[in-house]
Amino acid sequence: MQKGTDLGAVGSVPTAPSQEEKSMANEVIVMKNVSKEFKVLNRHEGLKGSFQDLFSRDYKTVKAVNDVSLTVEKGEIIGYLGPNGAGKSTTIKMMTGVLEPSTGDIQVNGLVPYKDRTRNSENIGVVFGQRSQLWWNLPLIESFKLLRDIYMVPEKDYKDMLELYRSLVDIEPILHKPVRQMSLGQRTLSDILAAFLHNPGIVFLDEPTIGLDVSMKAKIRELIRGLNEVKETTVILTTHDMGDVDALCKRIIIIDEGKKIYDNDIDHLKTYFGSYRTLRMRLEDGSWDEQVIDEKKTDVMHVIQETQKKHKIKDIQLEEISTEEVIRKIYEGSKAS
Amino acid sequence: MTGVKRLTALTRAGVMESLQFRLGTAVTLFGNLIYLALVYFLWKAIYDSCGASEVNGMTFYDTMIYLILATAIFNFLEMFIIWDMSRAIQSGEIIMHLLKPMRYRKYTFWSYSGSHVISFFLTFIPTFIVVMLVTKGAIPIGLNCVFFVVSLVMALVINFNIEMLVAPICLYTESTWGINIVKETIVLLLSGATIPLAFFPESFRRVVEYMPFRAVYDIPLKILLKKDGTNSLEGLLPMLGIQLIWCIVLTIAGNLFWNHAVKRITVNGG
Repeated sequence: MQKGTDLGAVGSVPTAPSQEEKSMANEVIVMKNVSKEFKVLNRHEGLKGSFQDLFSRDYKTVKAVNDVSLTVEKGEIIGYLGPNGAGKSTTIKMMTGVLEPSTGDIQVNGLVPYKDRTRNSENIGVVFGQRSQLWWNLPLIESFKLLRDIYMVPEKDYKDMLELYRSLVDIEPILHKPVRQMSLGQRTLSDILAAFLHNPGIVFLDEPTIGLDVSMKAKIRELIRGLNEVKETTVILTTHDMGDVDALCKRIIIIDEGKKIYDNDIDHLKTYFGSYRTLRMRLEDGSWDEQVIDEKKTDVMHVIQETQKKHKIKDIQLEEISTEEVIRKIYEGSKAS
Repeated sequence: MTGVKRLTALTRAGVMESLQFRLGTAVTLFGNLIYLALVYFLWKAIYDSCGASEVNGMTFYDTMIYLILATAIFNFLEMFIIWDMSRAIQSGEIIMHLLKPMRYRKYTFWSYSGSHVISFFLTFIPTFIVVMLVTKGAIPIGLNCVFFVVSLVMALVINFNIEMLVAPICLYTESTWGINIVKETIVLLLSGATIPLAFFPESFRRVVEYMPFRAVYDIPLKILLKKDGTNSLEGLLPMLGIQLIWCIVLTIAGNLFWNHAVKRITVNGG
């Protein structure tokens, strides 16, 4: 125990105490050089190989997260992105305390999550993909009441929270429905509501909109944004849906193969590979001419002028590059290097 | 105060969940009838072939009452921690349990408590009443019933800890079925739930009496039926004492093993 508190202190030796303390107050998550390694048995092929595996001590080490440092401030909604298998879920599991980092320090709400998992759980909420923390056979309201008691939420806060939910989404139709009878969308919605119920400082949402229809996605985004605004809840969101990112996140962090490759504003992201825009012009013969313009090399007006010298332009469309395209470029770029 | 409320809230939810499976209770009762019919004919044959009305100090009726009540206790104590935990580990669901603001063992115990309450009232009490009516008072009613309930609660704790000592093994072996069968067989045999301990060979019985399994079925039943001197305080207290010691020992052992096993999840990711 003693050793643990020492370790925590090493990371934050204050040089200018007042300054440090001030910024510390807002930082709800601090990760410093965190890595996570898994030992995996090298499996051999075929029947003979399977027998070999019975006695094999041949382990290889897989680095799921590699030297990631980041800080998250109170009230942020962060898009935590990366291709499949990049280490997103591993990072989130470390932040929640169900995984212990191999090296590096993590602090969440001032606690070391894996050492103080139970206490840490009091102040976080979690929605993991298609897993549910609700009581399958009971109506949703019973799960809410149970969570209220388990998290020891005062009655007044609980009522206020339900009021807030009512103002954000139409919960009446699902409140008395057993969870097992719900559609995937309703269940996800319920799980998100359940994660926010005890008003935690941080909520982790791991692919919450996976498999949902467009209207449910919109509803869920609205809900997350509403709760974040009213309760100042910090939200860490992993998703593959750039619609979620565009709708919710100001800041995004991208990891790939365990390494952090981007951590900045979403606006900045669009200029990451140069600012690309797509210019479409309809010419006198009715055909559309499409050009991708890199604004570092030339600008839109120049291209239009050049085209006008040769053709008569009847119509113009200008498209910003989508987040999705930029992200794809980043994923593919990091694979190539 | 509020600490207690979070526990009773879990019990309450367990009761409500169990009540969803009305048909399950009926099936359990039906299964018991078949099992008890088998037990009846088996022991009838044993007693008939002996020719004596009393074997090892127990009459045919004593044996039947003992085994019927043992079955009722079995239904009451039955937990599926081994199945549930291995499924939770394989599906990754266990993360959601680990992220509750309560210690996992405590959370698990109280999550199951509701189903125990239900099976006590829906299977144990009815069986008890039927036995009483059929045997016309073979079960003595009095203070022994109070001691029986105390003993039964300790049996519940011991049984929970046995399950919690076995369940995490599936983290290491990745097989559940075999482990569960082994555990089930050992507990049912050595606790006296399938064969009364009086029928065990003397030397074997001596060994079994030093094991925790006896505290799950044999001791509560002895207390309820006022056997083996449990009708006097001098006979009763050692029995309850044995149970209490096993409660403490197994709780400590269960805690240690679980803390070790959970490391496997947090370090290796399950």
